[in-house]
Amino acid sequence: MDILSPIKSGFKRSLKCWKGVFINWILTFFIVIMIAFPLRGAINSILGSSMITDKLSKGIIFDVIPDLGSNFKTLISMITSGFFIVLLSGFLLNVFITGGLFSNLKRKEGRFSYSVFFNGSIYKFWSFLVIMLIMSLIILISGFIVIGIPIIIASGSGSIDGARLRAFMRFGSLFLLLLPIFLLITDYARAWLVMNEKGGCFKAIGFGFSHTFRTFLSSYPVMVILLISQSLFGWIILKILPGMTPASSGGIFLFFLLSQFLFFTRILLKVWRYGSVTALLEMKMKKEVDIEGFQS
Amino acid sequence: MKKLLFLFVLLTGLLVPSHAQIVLKEPLSNRQTYYKIDARLDIHNRIVKGKMEMYWVNKSSDIIPDIQLHMYLNAFRSNKSTMYKEEMGSPGMTKSDFGWITINSITDRSGTDLSKSMNFISPDDGNPEDMTVLKVNLPDPARPGDTVFLNVSFESKLPSKIRRTGYYEDFYFVAQWFPKFGVYEPAGMRFAVKGGWNCHQFHSNSEFYSNHSVYDVKITLPDEYVVGTGGLLLNETESSDGTKTLTYRAEDIVDFAWTAWPGYAVYTDQWKHVKITLLLPKERAEQVERQFTAVKHALEYLTENVGPYPWPHLTFVDPPGKGGGSGGMEYTTLFTSLSAYRIPEYLHLPEMVTVHEFGHAYFMGILASNEFEEPWLDEGINSYWEQRIMDYYYGENSGMMDHPLLKVSDKSIGRLSYVMSANKNTVSNAEFSWNYAHDTYGMMSYMKSATWLYTLMGIVGEETMNEIFIEYYREWAFKHPSGKDFVAVVNRVVTRIHGNKFGPDMNWFFDQTLYGTGLCDYKVSAFFNSGINSYEGMVTGGDSLSVLNPDIKKDTLYKSVAQFERIGEVKLPVDILIHFTNGDQVSETWDGIGRFKDFEYTGARKIDWVKIDPENKITMDVNFINNSMTSKPDRKPVRLLTDKLVSFMQLFIQFISL
Repeated sequence: MDILSPIKSGFKRSLKCWKGVFINWILTFFIVIMIAFPLRGAINSILGSSMITDKLSKGIIFDVIPDLGSNFKTLISMITSGFFIVLLSGFLLNVFITGGLFSNLKRKEGRFSYSVFFNGSIYKFWSFLVIMLIMSLIILISGFIVIGIPIIIASGSGSIDGARLRAFMRFGSLFLLLLPIFLLITDYARAWLVMNEKGGCFKAIGFGFSHTFRTFLSSYPVMVILLISQSLFGWIILKILPGMTPASSGGIFLFFLLSQFLFFTRILLKVWRYGSVTALLEMKMKKEVDIEGFQS
Repeated sequence: MKKLLFLFVLLTGLLVPSHAQIVLKEPLSNRQTYYKIDARLDIHNRIVKGKMEMYWVNKSSDIIPDIQLHMYLNAFRSNKSTMYKEEMGSPGMTKSDFGWITINSITDRSGTDLSKSMNFISPDDGNPEDMTVLKVNLPDPARPGDTVFLNVSFESKLPSKIRRTGYYEDFYFVAQWFPKFGVYEPAGMRFAVKGGWNCHQFHSNSEFYSNHSVYDVKITLPDEYVVGTGGLLLNETESSDGTKTLTYRAEDIVDFAWTAWPGYAVYTDQWKHVKITLLLPKERAEQVERQFTAVKHALEYLTENVGPYPWPHLTFVDPPGKGGGSGGMEYTTLFTSLSAYRIPEYLHLPEMVTVHEFGHAYFMGILASNEFEEPWLDEGINSYWEQRIMDYYYGENSGMMDHPLLKVSDKSIGRLSYVMSANKNTVSNAEFSWNYAHDTYGMMSYMKSATWLYTLMGIVGEETMNEIFIEYYREWAFKHPSGKDFVAVVNRVVTRIHGNKFGPDMNWFFDQTLYGTGLCDYKVSAFFNSGINSYEGMVTGGDSLSVLNPDIKKDTLYKSVAQFERIGEVKLPVDILIHFTNGDQVSETWDGIGRFKDFEYTGARKIDWVKIDPENKITMDVNFINNSMTSKPDRKPVRLLTDKLVSFMQLFIQFISL
């Protein structure tokens, strides 16, 4: 099977779905600033009219930590509890939005439709939630089995220096090879669910498993290519943004715009993955229908 | 006469080894003690069996009826030892986990059995279960000038939980492993009011105190083992039974420890007269250069700013992960670093540990203070020098970590530990090491001490500080200085260089920092600029005002006031910098004694910002945030920080939501 066709098709579909990407971006942004803005206010309030922010502007944050005193602990607890709430609500929001995105990525949806998007989000929410929770759990357990247990065994032996790190590197690489399979299962399950109005989430997961292994040779390379692009882009973001230290107000605003643009693109890449898997599924189903039609 | 002749021959034979110069050209210390040990490592039973000749010379004018010996390994004998009681732990679950030391025989020079006159004592806490200090009553009291000679046969079982000493699989770190003399302190030495043995029990939070000695040590062990010690290797012989015997000599060091493990790779390097040997796991070969560079930095910096490193040899060990419990420890000419496989270059943790542990060669080895009673004198001073060395060679802001995203100076880590501690003013630095309340030993003896030493440097200057240590070394090398001796040196050097600038002495500083528990916190309280009402006049009667000078505009002149407060109890002189809107800057000094201080200016300029201690010299100040105030606070860095946080959280949400 042609590997590039679903990737190309997925890319076109994701571009057509830019409004969904925009909704994803803006809602995530609002959730995140619910913690970030109060945090900024708290830091400003703690620092008051102090000039210690000079140190922050040079990127040397550590020196300021001792001076925050008990405020530091307050800030840390604020960040950790806030971070948890943001992650939880962000996760649920993404579950919600993914339903709408997959609904709009189907071939028959030529253009982006808000009604299809929100209908999909609402009606597929619970099924998508179950799929994502189960698959997340499977990924975590697999991660523990593939990486965690060898590390524990390596730690127990204790005879070779760096045995744990070596085990982590070796088995972490193995886990990275398994990750595309789990994502294929998840994406196939979700794509199948939006195509089959009456399908249940467990049936969808079952389909995801069977379809992934049935079409392994065609699906796996597609997913690997998409994941490499996503990871590369994520790596570039992490490489660029933290090191940037604009000093002027305009520079900081440009930094903000750039960071949000990069994040928007990152979502687009994810939707590209969803679109490609949907395209893969549709191509496979069409092929099966053609064969059945030919046989009948 | 025959008896005298016999004694002469015996003493000559005994004293020659210690006075012979094999390692050093001249003796560095008065060599009050000597140990000749023939040890054999039994790897099956984890026991070191030793035969030892040891002596102690009574250099006091006292008549001393007994001697006291450290039996450190007995701390691992039971969970009722003082060490395990203090930390509420246990040596382990099985017999092989425990450690102990036992004396099989002990005789004096005439062959008299002294085993009947031995008894364990607990001078610190009276714990009858603790067996880490052994008192041996002498048949004849030691008179001034007498040499107490002992011939001892002992067995040392190493513990499995390595706490400085012990074994794990085939890794051994053998420290505090033989019966060792305490230090006899005659009246007037350090804090001694009357003569007596200073021989403390083994505590959870404590290190050691010993005389400088000569060690002649033979170690026999299986020949596949690679050995590192604090001595100079004189001879190596192999035996047909698969063992080898290594003969070492060390001169004028306070302790002799050794390590053995077949997995070590051995590297050597040279710094001036010092041959440096590094033992580390073969897998960590990529760290060899880092480690040598770090130790050479420390040698160079301390030689230049404190005094020479006198020994021609130095061995250091980077123990494998399984022997990590032996890491970060010092035995003068042998020390252990601490690192891990493939530790990133930007993290200077191995370098920091190496620099720190090497520094003990000076502040525990050469200046052999009593770590039981004044831990700050070694750990605090050594941490201060470690921070100076790390930040000097690895970057003022990146001594500890040099990553594009985060730079951390070693000094900041030390200050963080002190400033962030909830118990920073619970006790003073003048505590015995095991008496630091509320788990404050590490923070107080290492970090608070280093922080106030930095503060002292901020007050007297770096050059004066170096001069203090050069003189401290010159006066007290190979002796046992106490805290008051260090303070005396500071007083002498500071007044010599600065006269009475800081008063007749610096006791006011030490009373507050070393012996006090107060906190230091100066703050900018406020500043304001009031336009001076240029109308000059007087009420001439009723409500009428006679205006004398109505032409001057109201806002051409300002009365500007900057207000400062001392929140903490510690009173130190501080610099103040006041910046005006027209670019003028005024430097002031405040003796810091009063609770508040106002500086007032009149002129056609307004205060823009003010800083107290602008160069952050007073590192003891527990809050630098309130050390400055501006009329236009710069919020941009916080904006940037939160923008980055937003991006990071957005990415993370995308990452977890498949």
